[in-house]
Amino acid sequence: MSDSTAVPAASGEPDALAAGPTTRERLDRYVALIGPMAMIAALLLLMAILEPARYFRLSNFDIILKDAALYMPMAMAMTLVICTRGIDLSIGSVAALTAIIMAYMVKSFGFPWWVAVPLAISLGALCGLVNGLIITRLKVPDLIGTLAMDLAYRGFALVLAKGVVLSRFPEEIVAIGRGEIPGFVAIPVVIGLTTLLLGYVIYTRTRLGRYALAIGSNPEAAELTGIPVDRYKIYVYVLMGAMAGLAGVMLAGKLNAVQATSAPFFNLHVIAAVVVGGTSLFGGRGSIVGSLAGVLLLSMMINALVTLRIEFFWQSVASGAVIILSVAFYTWLQKSDRDGGGSLAAKLGTPESRRTLRFIALLFAITGALFLLGWIFAGETTAVR
Amino acid sequence: MPSSQDRMPLIDMKGIGKRFGGVTALDDVDLHVTAGEVLAIVGDNGAGKSTLIKILTGVYRPTSGTMTMAGEPLQLNDHSDAIDRGIDAVYQSLALADHLTPSANLFLGSELTRKVMGVTLLDNRRMRQEAERVLQERLGVRLRSMDVPTSSLSGGQRQAVAIARAVYNTDLKVLVMDEPTAALGPQETARTLKLIQAVRDQGIAVIVISHSLDDVFEVSDRIQVMRRGRLAGVVNTRDSSITSVLGMIVGATDQAA
Repeated sequence: MSDSTAVPAASGEPDALAAGPTTRERLDRYVALIGPMAMIAALLLLMAILEPARYFRLSNFDIILKDAALYMPMAMAMTLVICTRGIDLSIGSVAALTAIIMAYMVKSFGFPWWVAVPLAISLGALCGLVNGLIITRLKVPDLIGTLAMDLAYRGFALVLAKGVVLSRFPEEIVAIGRGEIPGFVAIPVVIGLTTLLLGYVIYTRTRLGRYALAIGSNPEAAELTGIPVDRYKIYVYVLMGAMAGLAGVMLAGKLNAVQATSAPFFNLHVIAAVVVGGTSLFGGRGSIVGSLAGVLLLSMMINALVTLRIEFFWQSVASGAVIILSVAFYTWLQKSDRDGGGSLAAKLGTPESRRTLRFIALLFAITGALFLLGWIFAGETTAVR
Repeated sequence: MPSSQDRMPLIDMKGIGKRFGGVTALDDVDLHVTAGEVLAIVGDNGAGKSTLIKILTGVYRPTSGTMTMAGEPLQLNDHSDAIDRGIDAVYQSLALADHLTPSANLFLGSELTRKVMGVTLLDNRRMRQEAERVLQERLGVRLRSMDVPTSSLSGGQRQAVAIARAVYNTDLKVLVMDEPTAALGPQETARTLKLIQAVRDQGIAVIVISHSLDDVFEVSDRIQVMRRGRLAGVVNTRDSSITSVLGMIVGATDQAA
């Protein structure tokens, strides 16, 4: 057809106004890391002041790493899911369900561990497939679809295990969860880091990673350029399910026990780690390295709370606060059109801000008034516990 | 130099009609374009320009009429059929994944790969090199950088990436462009018009839908005016004027080709 006739340079000055990426753009690649790195640094600083002796021990970092390793495979897969502008809230239930089925296969049916473990992962993949089909074929939005399946998978787990705790797994499975290659490094950490490495290759050098980003960045463009969007979305959810299955195996091995209510907060923990690590919830932009940092940060934070002997229930409050602060910080870093004009006082003084402040004051006033009312009309008290 | 009317048309659409339920979008419309010319399609909103173009690119099927390409009958069941025949389009939205690099966008959907130990991986380096080559050699464009998200390039450079994608991926014979300069400032518009000419000079037939009569008179060889689903007239750009074409768009005058 048309031979590649070279177009003469006279067709215009070179289209380069500034050759190459700007400094800001060169840094942008690493911005995803600045968020979690800054928070890790802040955390280390805090702990260095408060409790250096117990936090900064090799054995403690070992614990942190092993705890983080459990979430690494799922964080890898969740990064891809979120890159496609999707989400998967069912991973905890998938992990529990597949671990329970694995337990039955091993204990009641005598399956060898080297069949049961891949089977659990494969079952996880099937759960992911169901999620993917629901989202692509039935067109149920991912948020509600995976939330509902979270309920369903958890239900299946309860049906199978009822209230029983399945324990005493074969030593190989326990090794996957908490074993160590002598003198070297913990097996779960090897598994976790390997899956992240695999995730990095997928993300940067395979069609799966490229299409996941394209689908999240511009779904219409992906369709127009002929990308089989539905098929790749299904691949991404299948991978997510498989990693949840792997995490279920690792959890069962680590605790040497699994029950229907295991892994209650996998979904929040993993999603938080991925988002804190710089992956955008709006899709199109993600970072496997950032997810690694996010996973480490969350484990370091939980460990810090335990080291500081903060009550277990406050840990949830702290976790929530950290997630919100880091996402807010990251969003602030991303803003290229920051409004430099005006101090905080000026911003609060605008009519619109004033209306908002009045509304806030009203809510507090109502709540406060109700407390006052209760106090005035207080009668007999009874013991709470 | 022979005028485009003397050469065999590459695309010949005759008597095209399109109905959507009870609505007639197109009524007995002709279109022909030859290799190496720029045909502009103009007309007010609802004139049927997009519909006609979508029939050419295989998105719609005509309710009546015939299409031939280089003398052979042209039957398109979907857009990929059109691409197989060398007909591609650059849409107003450009269909670019903003977060990805220009080379990633250029090869979107048809990536170059290499095998590493039996595994098929993307050949990012080769795609980058090829992207630079296509942009430079066939469009005369050097992007500000290949390592930035496509969203940070200027409108004209994004346009170049979208055009390069169409030019590279198919054995392109016909390029359709829908409002290529609509969102561009004057400098970027000038660059884009040069790109259109660069594509034409390679023997590709270019069909441009545009609201801007200035741009149309700058870059096109012939102008086809549509009004309310019908062909209002076809003129040679050289032999016409903005006022005259405007008159045809609005309906003050009708002119045969």
